[in-house]
Amino acid sequence: MDRNFVVLGVSLLVWGLLFVWVLRVEKRVRELEKR
Amino acid sequence: MVLRVLLFLWIAVAMVVALLKAPLVPMLEETTRVLYFHIPAAWLTVVALGWSMVNSIVYLVKRDLRADDHAAAAAELGLLFCVGATVSGALWAKAMWGSYWNWDPRETSIFFILLLYTAYLALRGSIEDEEKRARLSAIYSVAAFVAVPFLIFVVPRMYETLHPDPIINPRGKVDMDPMIRWCFLAMLVGFTGLYVWLQSLRVRVSRLERAAQAA
Repeated sequence: MDRNFVVLGVSLLVWGLLFVWVLRVEKRVRELEKR
Repeated sequence: MVLRVLLFLWIAVAMVVALLKAPLVPMLEETTRVLYFHIPAAWLTVVALGWSMVNSIVYLVKRDLRADDHAAAAAELGLLFCVGATVSGALWAKAMWGSYWNWDPRETSIFFILLLYTAYLALRGSIEDEEKRARLSAIYSVAAFVAVPFLIFVVPRMYETLHPDPIINPRGKVDMDPMIRWCFLAMLVGFTGLYVWLQSLRVRVSRLERAAQAA
């Protein structure tokens, strides 16, 4: 497999996971702010 | 939410173009890819630590704890990006120089920055009183940031280094393929957007912590 695709796949996976995690943290913060 | 999705797509598209379409720098070859992560991380280290210093000065002038929240959040994120720049730099050094750490002037400089701001967080963690913690941390942050431009811009230029030229090289020019330059700038903008988002989120968490302690 082309190494470029491996690097790209890992980079996109890490970025996607980080993005979803930050979104979840923000959702939790918003819930706590409403209380 | 729209801005967040745009940020996600911006960085994802920049990654695709940078890793699949942009040419490799002849001297760096396969390690060119590190450029798109290492330099934005190093850039945000300086931006975040600078923002921490600005808010520390604001705190010392106005004695407003919201400025202290910003200063602490920026220092934490600056340290996080500094770790990112150090790790990506060490991986690059392994590929190009044969070992992860060589005590090159740039590596030594970033090591001192890591120490300086780890000490800042240790200082914050050691003081219970909110006002005293904010005051002493602000003084420390201002003093620590005085060393940052010196460590990043002066020290590496005073000694022989194996590190490639910075983006604006000693001849005052940006010698970079236009495609690489655009990808690099796109990543820089994307990472800066991510930093702004994380900074605001960390400040909101600090305010929640204070409200919880007061309750």
